Amino acid sequence: MKRNTFYLLAGIVALAEVGIFWLSVSLENPIPIQVAFVLGVILLYLARRRVEETIEDERTAMITQKAALRTLEVSWVIFFVLSLGSAVIAFSRPLGLRPPRPGPEEVFPTEALELPVFGGFAIFQMTLLCLMIFLYVGFRVYYARKYGEWDTDEEQD
Amino acid sequence: MENGIPMKNRIKVYRAMHNLTQEALANAVGVTRQTILAIEKGKYDPSLELAFKIARYFGAPIEEIFLYDEPV
Repeated sequence: MKRNTFYLLAGIVALAEVGIFWLSVSLENPIPIQVAFVLGVILLYLARRRVEETIEDERTAMITQKAALRTLEVSWVIFFVLSLGSAVIAFSRPLGLRPPRPGPEEVFPTEALELPVFGGFAIFQMTLLCLMIFLYVGFRVYYARKYGEWDTDEEQD
Repeated sequence: MENGIPMKNRIKVYRAMHNLTQEALANAVGVTRQTILAIEKGKYDPSLELAFKIARYFGAPIEEIFLYDEPV
């Protein structure tokens, strides 16, 4: 498989994933997008192994490693700060053993784990994940520029 | 480059001597053309393995192609 064919396939898979996401939303069923996402990742992984030209080498691996490390360094600080906030909220309530359910409502409100709360938590998780992806892409671009990814010379096509 | 020690190389000269494109050299040593370009421009120092591969491809000692300017 040619390198450009692989990139074309990756684009098609990404578009298909967007379509299946909206299908899942309209069906109100998360299974299609979850299955499609895993299948898409496996398909791209298998396709990448069939690319005959070199698309990864030690320099691209180094760029990837550096970007991933910087993303991790920033992300853990963000996650830790948010977790600290959650811990403060948790410890602001009365400590000790949780009273038997249903228990006094003011100590552990029964509506705390209802579906809208889970939905909000999922959106919050997705926001953090998107933030990580943006960070990674930003660092990837920075290191790619630093190590000559888009440099041109007289041999440039 | 990474630690500020200037590493120079003569890959471009050797390519010209062998009438070789960056793409051909990249294919021969198993890297991308951008990596050869980055090495030539001094933006990336190759691993020891890649440096040996390039030197052996040109049939020259490694120190003929890669020059290490140790700071005095």
